[in-house]
Amino acid sequence: MPITDTEAMSKKPAVQPALHKVIMVGSGGVGKSALTLQFMYDEFVEDYEPTKADSYRKKVILDGEEVQIDILDTAGQEDYAAIRDNYFRSGEGFLCVFSITEDESFQATQEFREQILRVKNDENIPFLLVGNKGDLSDKRKVPLADCESLAQQWGVPYVETSAKTRENVDRVFFDLMREIRSRKMDDNKSNNVRGKDKSKRKKLKCVIL
Amino acid sequence: MAPPPVVTGISPKEGPPGTRVTIRGEHLGSKPNDLISLLICGCECQLSAEWKSPNKIIARSGPGKGRGEIIVTTSSGGEGTCTVQFRGYHETIGPLKESAVWVEEAPIQSLSWNRRSMSPSSYQLEDPLGLSVEREDRKIPEDDLHELFPDGSGDLGSENFEPTWFLLDHHHSTSFDDLRVGLSFLRRKVESQKEGQLSFLKSNVSSVMEQMDTLFLFKEKFEANVRDHGLDPTIKVEQAIKKSMTEATKLFQDVLARREKADKTRNALAVLQRYRFLFSLPLSISNNIAKNDIDAVINDYARAMNLFGKTDVVLFKKVLCEVESNINDLRDMLRKKIKIMPQTLQEQKTLIRNLINLDAGGDPGWDAIMSQYEYITHLLESSKNEHMTLDAENSKPKKPKHTRSASGSHVLEPVPIIIPQPILCVEELTAIVSERFPDLWKLGQSYFSGELQANIENNNQPAFKKIILDVVALSCKSIRSSVLPHTCDTNVKTFPTSYKESLGPHLPTALQYVCDLYSNLLALDLPTQALQFVSKLLFDLKLHTLLSSVRQCENQIKALKHEEKWQYQFNPNKGAITLVPNQLEQLIMDMIQSIKLNILNKDDKDNTLLSNDLAKHQFIAEMNKLLLTIVNLMDELSSGSNDQEDNMPVSQLIGSPMVHSDKQLSGTFYEERLLLTLSNCRYIHYSMFPRWNNLFIQNGLISIKESLHLTIESLMTLENKLIENYIEIKSDPLVGTIEPSMYLGHFDWDTNIPPSDLKPYAKEILSNIIAVHAELVRIVPGVIHKVISGIVETVAEELSRLMSCVTKFSDCGKEQAYVDMSSLKNTLSQYCTENAKAYFLEALDVIPPLTAAQREKVDEILTQFQSPSDPERTFEIYPSLPIQPEINQPTPPLPYNIQPTPTIPSNSYTSSSNVLPHTLDEMKVKFKFLYDSNMEDMEMVQILSLVNKTKQSSRNLDELISDIESVDFSLERSVISST
Ligand SMILES: Nc1nc2c(ncn2[C@@H]2O[C@H](COP(=O)(O)OP(=O)(O)O)[C@@H](O)[C@H]2O)c(=O)[nH]1
Ligand SMILES: [Mg+2]
Repeated sequence: MPITDTEAMSKKPAVQPALHKVIMVGSGGVGKSALTLQFMYDEFVEDYEPTKADSYRKKVILDGEEVQIDILDTAGQEDYAAIRDNYFRSGEGFLCVFSITEDESFQATQEFREQILRVKNDENIPFLLVGNKGDLSDKRKVPLADCESLAQQWGVPYVETSAKTRENVDRVFFDLMREIRSRKMDDNKSNNVRGKDKSKRKKLKCVIL
Repeated sequence: MAPPPVVTGISPKEGPPGTRVTIRGEHLGSKPNDLISLLICGCECQLSAEWKSPNKIIARSGPGKGRGEIIVTTSSGGEGTCTVQFRGYHETIGPLKESAVWVEEAPIQSLSWNRRSMSPSSYQLEDPLGLSVEREDRKIPEDDLHELFPDGSGDLGSENFEPTWFLLDHHHSTSFDDLRVGLSFLRRKVESQKEGQLSFLKSNVSSVMEQMDTLFLFKEKFEANVRDHGLDPTIKVEQAIKKSMTEATKLFQDVLARREKADKTRNALAVLQRYRFLFSLPLSISNNIAKNDIDAVINDYARAMNLFGKTDVVLFKKVLCEVESNINDLRDMLRKKIKIMPQTLQEQKTLIRNLINLDAGGDPGWDAIMSQYEYITHLLESSKNEHMTLDAENSKPKKPKHTRSASGSHVLEPVPIIIPQPILCVEELTAIVSERFPDLWKLGQSYFSGELQANIENNNQPAFKKIILDVVALSCKSIRSSVLPHTCDTNVKTFPTSYKESLGPHLPTALQYVCDLYSNLLALDLPTQALQFVSKLLFDLKLHTLLSSVRQCENQIKALKHEEKWQYQFNPNKGAITLVPNQLEQLIMDMIQSIKLNILNKDDKDNTLLSNDLAKHQFIAEMNKLLLTIVNLMDELSSGSNDQEDNMPVSQLIGSPMVHSDKQLSGTFYEERLLLTLSNCRYIHYSMFPRWNNLFIQNGLISIKESLHLTIESLMTLENKLIENYIEIKSDPLVGTIEPSMYLGHFDWDTNIPPSDLKPYAKEILSNIIAVHAELVRIVPGVIHKVISGIVETVAEELSRLMSCVTKFSDCGKEQAYVDMSSLKNTLSQYCTENAKAYFLEALDVIPPLTAAQREKVDEILTQFQSPSDPERTFEIYPSLPIQPEINQPTPPLPYNIQPTPTIPSNSYTSSSNVLPHTLDEMKVKFKFLYDSNMEDMEMVQILSLVNKTKQSSRNLDELISDIESVDFSLERSVISST
């Protein structure tokens, strides 16, 4: 038997914590990166630097269980829309962010929602509608009622956050992870068979040999 | 040791070599030096790494390809781990990628259409040895194989196929047994093919048939295709491809355009953000200008010029252009503002500094100086002109008022106080200069000291001096034109000179203004030339004020002419003095006080006005005039011009008895007036003048001794003239009555009546002289001797003439003449001049000599006349006369304002020698009241006039005295009747 195989096996840790892949979506400038960085590193970035695609991953304790969260911070810009399809495919849950101070960003959530549903082909994909920049309530352009009614229409939770004050930042990530986790548990039950199929196919190859 | 670094975030997570990545995580090093290695996809990127914080490093990705880890190593924490991965890729050329690089097509084809991945897998599936191999397990690198078989290839389909390569490549880990099995598998396959075509066909007949059918079918289809679509069916495809290519290009262009647009927007946003300061500058400048925060504008402007002044960026240039135009507007605005007057020095300085800070160019400091200068000049000119026009307007309606007060009897009476326009003008002019000029001067000082700006036009210095001199000269000129018109050039427009006199009382005010101005200017440290202008003006004005106060005083003295009421007070040492001399002295003292207060007090210590020869000279000349005016006044008062009639109502008011237009009364008064004036003159001469000189010196004025000397000469001439007039007036009637009295009652010296006493005419002479004496004692005791001597001389001359005219003396007549002449001579001996004595001796010589018996008789009569009760031989009337009044006391002064109408019988002419007082004693007693100094002045005047009148009508003394006694009674009576 090939030596390499055994070596590769020994490198892998015995139990890898569950990995939840979260994707930040929303128009440019609404605070996706700010939320991410606040969540990851407790820091708030004042200056605006358009994102392409950033990747973050760290261990967190979710309801007493150690899990890994993988955050893909995407570009909000239109010209990257083509690449988004690819990214969205790998996502397990979505934080759809808009800024309560910018109505356009709120309107844009519709398109993101539709794209996600198309790519994922799943009505119940874990999804949170997030109204950011809650600290700028004096500049608020999107009425709370509109936000809540949209969320209700989609059947998703609506949370208002502030990357600046860290309000509800942890909450949106943890809530989403919980949804992802419960989705995975459901999937595991229903798709057990397929998983076994996969392993059988590999073995078949060996049998051919 | 610190925990090992963990990378938990990467932004962006993929990119070509050289991508700027932000790496986040924990324990990424405690300081920049702590970071010793940064591997991205296996490439060392530490060189480009920028350590930001223990959580953040920024670096550029290396040439690493594919997904790889990011490993941070720190000296404190050692080699770290990562939870995220970076994917490096070499950007390939695809339909959506622009590239300027020439790319060889062959490898691309194999890359871009995934052929490679497809073909090996197909080979793999059909391994010739029938073995299943895991491709990933290949251990022998391709390069090594190339080296081993330089001409060979591992490709089964290749011409130069090298079996060893193939085996090494695909089966190097396959065991020999397996290979043998494989070989037999291959052999079996080849054997089966070698069984011959027929057997192959036999065994495969069905499939061959099938293939044949298919070929036929294909042929049919092909022929149908050719039929349907022609020989070259690819045209359509080609067209479709072309179309799709244009479509794609369009799409591509669209995408590009959109992307470009987005990039531009992003760039614009970034630029806007980054140069926000510059872009908002025009607005903030306008705002600050509106807020008048010029300093902020200057700061912003300087900062902008620093940052962008040398920029080549068109956009910046455009904004700067706008800024520049704003600033230019501001400069213009400030330049205009600096010329707007009035403004304080501080404001102006701020403006200048602002302009300089704004690089406005030009010479704002100098502009400010010029505008100050023009402003002051304009103010001075306009204020002067304004006052002149005001003056012209004011003088019109006020003219009648002026003339009325001028024609009135009391010029001195203060006209309702209206400050004359010239004085107001001076006030304003000095105020302007005091207020504005220091600013101009200080501005100039700051300008030349470089406090305001660095580059000073040095040739401005003389110009500035000229400006300073100009302003000072102009203000001096304007002041001169207001109050010193006579010192101005003839072409200068001045205030009407009619003011010259009426301005007098106000000159001190003007002087005060100018003095204040001078002291203000002194404090400024001005060039001496400028100060000289002012000090010259000050001098001229002082002198003018001085002279005009003297002139004023002179006018007041002239006006005293109307003030003489002839009320007097008797002073034993000085005689009778009316009010005028004291009023005179009061005027002089007032003048001195005013001069001292208003003019001399303003002198500086070492440069007094009166130490100047010119001033001294003019002052003395003016004083001479003034003193001469006094003499003239006295002269006029004594001669009694028609003013007396004019003064009637006034005299009536003060109870003067001189209402009667009777010539005699008025004539009598004339004598009185002569004497009073004489007495006044002497008082002025002997008492006042000596103290005046001291008064002048004590009050800081110069000695006027010489002027006084000159005046005393004319005063003495006047005195002598008055004395002569008086002697003439008194002696003419006195001498005239001697002859008629002597021959009264047809008396003849050839008489036979023996003498028993002096003849009445002789007694009359004495009594007349006594009356004159009394008058003199009451008014001017000082000149008694001179006057009486003069009169006695004329009397003696007349007597000698009369005696020499006597044709014949009887014995008795001889005796009588002897008695008369001797007694007169003896009695009047004290007042006899040499001439008089000679005349008396002449008269005695004419009388024929007496016998001894006759002489005895005569001596007896003479002794009897010179009564023993009075041991003195001559009458020394004053002061040895008894003073106690024995006759009636004067009644209270109440009735004297009622004119008495004494009824005097004009023709009752009785010769009664017996009613005359027989002795000198008697006479003295009778006339005693005349010398009574306790008597009221007016009463005396009245009584005297009565005495005179009686004498002239030759009435006897008893009658006279009873008349006098009746005065009181008649006065009382008239009071009663009038009430
Ligand atoms: N006041 C406030 N500003 C925020 C908030 N979130 C983000 N921002 C700011 O909005 C800008 C854009 O944020 P960013 O996170 O880069 O937006 P992204 O394009 O969605 O990733 C940045 O300048 C942030 O400082 C927030 O909650 N409150
Ligand atoms: Mg972002």
